[in-house]
Amino acid sequence: MSRRAPGPGRLLVYALVAFVMLVYISPYAYMMLTSLKPPEDALAIPPHILPRQLSLDSYTRFTSDAEVPRSFLNSFVIALMSTTLAVALALPAAWAISRYGSWPARVFLLVTLVTRMIPYIAIAIPFFALMRSFRLTDTWLAVALAHVTISLPLAIWLLAGFLEAIPSELEDAARVDGCSRLAALLRVVVPVAAGGIVVTAIFCFLASWNEFLYALLLTSVEAKTAPIVIAGFKSQYSLNWGSMTAVGTLYSLPVIVFSLFMQRRIVAGMTMGAVKG
Amino acid sequence: MSRADRRYVLLLLAPAAVFLLVFVAWPLLNLFRDSLYEVALLKPGERAFVGLDNFQRALTSSRVGGAALRTLGYTAIALSAEFTLGFVAALLFNSLGRRSELLRTIFLFPLMIPPIVAGLLWRFLLIDNFGIVNQILQQLGLLASTSDVAWLGDRDIVLFSVALPDIWLTTSFVTLVLFTGLQNIPVSLLEAARIDGAGALQLFRHVTLPLLRPVIAVVLIIRGIDAARAFDIIWVQTEGGPRFASEVLSMHIYRTMIRYGDLGFASAIATLFLLALLALSLLAFFVIWRPDAARGSA
Repeated sequence: MSRRAPGPGRLLVYALVAFVMLVYISPYAYMMLTSLKPPEDALAIPPHILPRQLSLDSYTRFTSDAEVPRSFLNSFVIALMSTTLAVALALPAAWAISRYGSWPARVFLLVTLVTRMIPYIAIAIPFFALMRSFRLTDTWLAVALAHVTISLPLAIWLLAGFLEAIPSELEDAARVDGCSRLAALLRVVVPVAAGGIVVTAIFCFLASWNEFLYALLLTSVEAKTAPIVIAGFKSQYSLNWGSMTAVGTLYSLPVIVFSLFMQRRIVAGMTMGAVKG
Repeated sequence: MSRADRRYVLLLLAPAAVFLLVFVAWPLLNLFRDSLYEVALLKPGERAFVGLDNFQRALTSSRVGGAALRTLGYTAIALSAEFTLGFVAALLFNSLGRRSELLRTIFLFPLMIPPIVAGLLWRFLLIDNFGIVNQILQQLGLLASTSDVAWLGDRDIVLFSVALPDIWLTTSFVTLVLFTGLQNIPVSLLEAARIDGAGALQLFRHVTLPLLRPVIAVVLIIRGIDAARAFDIIWVQTEGGPRFASEVLSMHIYRTMIRYGDLGFASAIATLFLLALLALSLLAFFVIWRPDAARGSA
């Protein structure tokens, strides 16, 4: 707003913001600090915030257990598969919606909106039966397909917004140069919209990486994703809080760091549908 | 639009449409069909048509009714907290203007945390005898002993407690969207109202709020739907306990299917849940949004 010298009001705002930030960050910081304590210290009574002694035991303890690294791999492959499929399916649909906007396209956009209102459990139950009849349960493909049901509507919605910013003259020019329409979409429109496509892909990846319910229903041994294994810590190794904080940190920190780097683009994606209303 | 154009549009829509038909519409049709049958989960071939019996059972079951009420309660708790806190944070950031960028970046981080990790983390923070929350409350003199409040073990407060990680995770989404909405309000409009003698509170009530209405509507609807279908974040904290005090609909449907193997009944409850959520979201859409009304009062 205006360039006033920081008065008492402004200072109060800063103090408030600083307090909110502190409260907001501390749970995560406490998790990271706990993961660096010797595992038995995680259960100390009374608890202390800072580690009295640094230790990587909570980390090394589970890496010896093959289940955890394997579940990370499963999560990664499934997220990659579902992201690729969702973006590949969403891109042409979003182009049809934003470039041509005829009634089938508008109806389609409405359908994706309504899809977002369906409780996951309502699709998960029959989806499980469907995968079983295909003999696909406990495979990467089953979980990836399930995750596309979540990320496809999201991807169409986001991409339609990003593609709207592209002037239709671009496609026309490419066609004058002898491109077919599909070639114009792939060779001219896609490179120009690369930024928006990347943001969309990040959102699809995150949706799959963090998903729990479908993975819980569809996997049992081979394809278990990391959230399922992490959730298992509470019963399997009762009260294994040390390992929980370590695996929790390891699973979330790379994503957090990566998205902080991509911050501007992610904000653009997140506020897109909502603010344009 | 030419016929070739129309054919091209359909061609572009086809891959996504086929996917949605096979993996969303077809499962949903199966859900509706199964809700009319009594099915043995282990032998899906053996099914008996029972008409609307499952629906009648669902509508008269006190367990289903309780879960539905708790779903509403959980949504109300999470939504009102997220909206209030998120709005306040958005106003704070807005008063700092562009200088708040770094702070907003930091504020964003919980959105990337898997709900499952957040749920377990808060369960760890809230454990009554060695959790850090009760420890801090005791040191501040608010609790006599760290075992005074059993956040996740007391049936009267558990629904509030399980909402905490949800609030922690998604308040930043509300803030982010509302902040962008606030930034999009033309400064000239606010200046004009100020020149006309409007105070800060009047400015907020008669200019900011009406202009923000569509944004608020979208935020409430998106977050409301997500809170209503929450599963994982509550599941890892309490699995619906103690004695079902935090069991929401998604969880009850999951249990009916997995633990009790009652596919027909689970499908009927899920169908009712689906219809209710659709109806409520569409209702909210039309009641809160009202873009014309917003323009009229601005």
